[in-house]
Amino acid sequence: MSIQPIDLFSAERRRSARVIVRGLEKEFGFGVAAVRAIDTLDLALGANDFLCVVGPSGCGKTTLLNVLAGFEAPSAGEVSLDGRQILAPGAERGVVFQQGALFSWYSVRDNIAFGPECAGKPRAEARDIADGYIEMVGLEGFGDRYPYELSGGMQQRVGIARALAADPDILLMDEPFAALDQQTRELLQEEIKRIWQETGKTILWITHSIEEALFLATHVLVMTARPGRIKASFTAGFAGETSHLVTTSEAFTAAKRTVLGLLREESIKAQRQEEVA
Amino acid sequence: MSSAAFDAEAPPGTTKLAERPEVTSARRRRRLNLLSFAIMLLVWIAATGGAGFWTPVVDPVFFPSPLAVFEAFLRLIENGYQGRSLGHHLMMSLMRFGIAFGFCVTVGITVGLLMGMNETVQGLLDPPIEITRPIPKLALLPLLIIWFGIGELSKVIVIIMALFPLMSISAMQAVRGVSRRKIQAAYSLGATRWIVFWRVVLPASLPGIFTAIRLSLGVGVTMLVGAEMIATSNGIAWMALSAADFLLTDVVLVGVLMMAGLGYSLDQLARVIERRVVHWSGKDS
Ligand SMILES: Nc1ncnc2c1ncn2[C@@H]1O[C@H](COP(=O)(O)OP(=O)(O)OP(=O)(O)O)[C@@H](O)[C@H]1O
Ligand SMILES: [Mg+2]
Repeated sequence: MSIQPIDLFSAERRRSARVIVRGLEKEFGFGVAAVRAIDTLDLALGANDFLCVVGPSGCGKTTLLNVLAGFEAPSAGEVSLDGRQILAPGAERGVVFQQGALFSWYSVRDNIAFGPECAGKPRAEARDIADGYIEMVGLEGFGDRYPYELSGGMQQRVGIARALAADPDILLMDEPFAALDQQTRELLQEEIKRIWQETGKTILWITHSIEEALFLATHVLVMTARPGRIKASFTAGFAGETSHLVTTSEAFTAAKRTVLGLLREESIKAQRQEEVA
Repeated sequence: MSSAAFDAEAPPGTTKLAERPEVTSARRRRRLNLLSFAIMLLVWIAATGGAGFWTPVVDPVFFPSPLAVFEAFLRLIENGYQGRSLGHHLMMSLMRFGIAFGFCVTVGITVGLLMGMNETVQGLLDPPIEITRPIPKLALLPLLIIWFGIGELSKVIVIIMALFPLMSISAMQAVRGVSRRKIQAAYSLGATRWIVFWRVVLPASLPGIFTAIRLSLGVGVTMLVGAEMIATSNGIAWMALSAADFLLTDVVLVGVLMMAGLGYSLDQLARVIERRVVHWSGKDS
């Protein structure tokens, strides 16, 4: 029960995949000023997969997420969900940002009811749905509060509940816990795991924390320094664990060492790139 | 409650309202405001003879005491000015200001929102607005009177010309400043462009729009003086201007103070509404 190398784009995975990323390239700018963020990336994500992406800063993780969310168009290659090409943002792909994406003018309940209302649910029903998710993320009694009245951790819960309430097929999360303190983060990690097990959503999760990746994910993807490609990918065996205590086990530490070694190589490369630039 | 992380966070609402720093500081500010008014009044009283205790620094003909101004005010309420009641003059000024302001709030802000949302609209409307913006609008008043006559229209238009660019450009910038993340989040929740406009862009722009509204209240009241400078025989500003011709300094000061009071109370009203409507402003999350 540890980590095993895996080809995330194997024929078998592609057959049962929901999300397919094929030959994805993304370049910003033109000519000499062009920045190549992602270079030929292939990826197949199945139902109930929890994929954590780690990689050095600036390697194109957010860019990958933006393409999947439909915020950015690929320069080459294609991305699809359930066989339909991704061209624009849509409710079937929920996004949770690091921070600052809540609607400050709405109460917690109205933030979460936004998705169901966009789906055409009557207001009362949307609010009922919202209350269910408020409970799921442990914010009972805070439905009428405004985001600015909540702590950072509570705000992230609202962001997660809001994305879940729109009932997406896949959740895209860009370092959702990066701005939180260690204790809050660990508890929220346990909770997101519980929510993932309860709802069975496909999740793509970007993080800088190897520990977070190994604790949460069914699959871990390590990206190279820019232009981002797949450096290595693994299946991780800790997704079934519910408590953070597993992170102190020997198997976990060994897995961490493996990923850390790979990531360090790329981080050093990324550092050099920056010094040259 | 499902997690201990949550319990660790102090539940809001446990401190009494009056103990909250923002409440006490608001109260403190109000007290300082009152004190400031009191000091201004005292300086005025002192400069004009200390209610009869010493000789005034300035001849009362040029600078009447507060009491004299108050008496003039009462006299104006009773007898009116130049054949019309004080209320009539006030209503005329309010009407000119109100129509211009209402037009700018509705049309100016709408145009600004459209400019912020749509590059084509912005490209078309930016030049006329930017070119007319630095022109001192009062310099145009004679021209406006030639074009639109000596009636109310030219007066309202000169105020509109001062407020319109302010409102539309502020609204446009407010739209431009809306966080991209919030817009992306809305689209990812299944919002249409229409929903994004009404439920994200518009509310997120409100703080900027309120700032512009409050600014234009001040500018608008100031513009009244210009608008009532020529070809009128009513209005508060006109009253002050014409009283000066007869050296009725007490009436001039009544007019000036009424305009100051008008501007101040409109601003206070706007503040109250602002605090209600955009209570979340500046506390981003
Ligand atoms: N809109 C853009 N225009 C130009 N360049 C961009 C844009 N977005 C990203 N880039 C560039 O693409 C590269 C990858 O950026 P990206 O944000 O995807 O990195 P990241 O892996 O998310 O980094 P971090 O871990 O620091 O968040 C960076 O070099 C960045 O400067
Ligand atoms: Mg990023």
